[in-house]
Amino acid sequence: MSFDLSIIWQNLPDILAGFWTTCWLWAVSTAGGIVLGFLVAVARRYGGRLIASVLGVYVAIMRGTPFLVQIFLLYYGGPFIGISLTETPTGLIGLVIYGAAYFSEVFRAGFEAVPVGHIEAAECVGLTRWQTVRRILLPEMALLVLPPSVNIAVILIKETAVLSTITVPELTMVTSVIGSQYYAFVEALTLLALFYWFLVEVTGRAGRWAEAKLSRYRFAN
Amino acid sequence: MSWKLFMLLVKASGLTLVISGVSILIGLALGFVICAGLLSGTRGLNRAAELFVSFFRGVPLLVQLLLIYHLMPALGINVSSTTAAIVGLSLCTAAYQAENLRAGFGAVPRGLLEAADMCGFSHFQTFRRIRAPIALRLTLPAIINEAVLLLKASSLVSVVGIVELTRMAQDLASSTYRPIPIFASAGLLYFIICAIVAGIGALYERRQKWARR
Amino acid sequence: MRSIRILGGMVGAALAMATAFSAHADDVLAKVKAAGVLSVGTETAFAPFDFIDAGEHVGLNVDLFAEIGKELGVKIEWVTLPWDGVLPGLESGKFDMVAGPATITKARMERYRFTSPIAEATVALLARKDAGLTKPEDIAGKAVGSGKATAQLAQLQDYAKTLPTAPTVREYVSFNDGYADMAAGRIVAVANSLPNIAYVASQRSDMFEVIKPPFGKPSYFGFIGRPDADSTSLMDAIDAALLKMKADGRMATLQKKWFGDTFNTPDKVTDPSF
Repeated sequence: MSFDLSIIWQNLPDILAGFWTTCWLWAVSTAGGIVLGFLVAVARRYGGRLIASVLGVYVAIMRGTPFLVQIFLLYYGGPFIGISLTETPTGLIGLVIYGAAYFSEVFRAGFEAVPVGHIEAAECVGLTRWQTVRRILLPEMALLVLPPSVNIAVILIKETAVLSTITVPELTMVTSVIGSQYYAFVEALTLLALFYWFLVEVTGRAGRWAEAKLSRYRFAN
Repeated sequence: MSWKLFMLLVKASGLTLVISGVSILIGLALGFVICAGLLSGTRGLNRAAELFVSFFRGVPLLVQLLLIYHLMPALGINVSSTTAAIVGLSLCTAAYQAENLRAGFGAVPRGLLEAADMCGFSHFQTFRRIRAPIALRLTLPAIINEAVLLLKASSLVSVVGIVELTRMAQDLASSTYRPIPIFASAGLLYFIICAIVAGIGALYERRQKWARR
Repeated sequence: MRSIRILGGMVGAALAMATAFSAHADDVLAKVKAAGVLSVGTETAFAPFDFIDAGEHVGLNVDLFAEIGKELGVKIEWVTLPWDGVLPGLESGKFDMVAGPATITKARMERYRFTSPIAEATVALLARKDAGLTKPEDIAGKAVGSGKATAQLAQLQDYAKTLPTAPTVREYVSFNDGYADMAAGRIVAVANSLPNIAYVASQRSDMFEVIKPPFGKPSYFGFIGRPDADSTSLMDAIDAALLKMKADGRMATLQKKWFGDTFNTPDKVTDPSF
């Protein structure tokens, strides 16, 4: 078996289209997941017992079951209970609510790592709850929250591959089709490795850059 | 869905639990080693650890597993499906755990280290009594997160010939043509296994709860 | 960033090496006989050929290989992988041959050695009963599906071009996902080989039906081996065993058992219709 670059070259438009689909699905769902995850974490902390326990169940289910199973049930099972969306919206919604559960846990851990004294002090000087979140909790936990958030963003990159099971034409789908059509398994695998590695590496570097920027917020207690 | 089919899924989830449990432990131990490399002052070690993390986080687990399964025999090491699965999962999760631990070490308040220094703690004492325990407590939620993620990622080991929970569900769905109840049951079983792993972690977390001031 | 390129090259080189190394093996039949074990790769999500029924790996393949094992005097060892991994596994030497089976096509014959065909593979439609299809042409303008990168999909796409209004053709990771989407109502029919969909229809007669006649060109299923000289003796021996079973009626009995019907298959496919 040889390494046949011409197969990649011939199919480059399809491959790049698949890569682009993966990229935007990932970027949109990561952004959505962070926002929703943050709201969930704040709601669990300040929303009262009922909201906290309902959201706790949501987070537990999302974290406790594989994305593959969730997306399968949502897409193929959804129509039986009246939810019939096409593949891309299903995939996007699925990724956001899946990612949000993980991001919310990261924020929860971040909140908890902020010394209670700092929060009490904020209350004493009369900051509102939102001001406390924005001015005390967020900056103080940012450094702790960043690396696991990068980890989750990386996980979401790879979860986009699962969307091939609901016929979304993303990178894994496109390359595996090319791989089996031309029996170019090595080429397809290498391509997959390189594209995903590139995305992960860019994300990791962006994360480390942000970490360096944020390290001035490191608190000493 | 019959009881018999459900019990087949239960049996397969046992395999999922064992394979991922072993990989979680090996991966965590290896993660510590890699983290030491990441924090090391020696340039070579540092670079090697960074490359390890970059490779195993960056390349999809699917590709890693195929590499181990198909490449090793060519180099004269015959890997069984089980070995390939555990090696692949452990290496991959070690990269993530190393990053988690690195973050924890980075977040240890500087004041504490300075205080330890002033109290005359040796480098090793500071590490053992201050840095490591605090870093571990700070990162415990992330470590548990990763353990549960690994459990779910273990469904990929079907590509090296292991019929774990997801693969069993796919197999059963393909002979009964009733995928929805089967996948829902598989989801339930994953939920239970993940709860077991997360429960062990939470128990530990509670015991170790950082005395907050 | 340079390290990325270097390691990427290594991944490719490593895989290429894996396949190169494994290709130097000695005569496969001699090796199989010496070990007393024939290792066969397959996917267990392809009823009625290979599937899990009540926890047991069963199907036409299992029965046929049991007989082949008797003829060769060896035990059969099954390696079950998802279909995507089966052909790469054959090429990297993880097993001696592949059950599958796969549709015998011109393109595949250039790359693999097929055995004597074991069943018909002609493509037909499995439709939702309530979709009101009575003949294949009725899919014009509707949404239909098939498995990605399969011979069956290619047949469906060719057929779609001949219809007055083209149907929307959707590609699924596995045929089973296609059946699930048909149950969910997004598509009205799935194109797959006759033996497979006849089995689906028998299992879910409440929901699905086979639309006759098959629209695809006549084609056959065969087992798959490596085309190299080392594998020739093994593949010849498998062919001899299959032909013997066709002659003494064992093949017909097993086809009847798993398909409820028998197929006339040629002894050898030399010129596939596509």
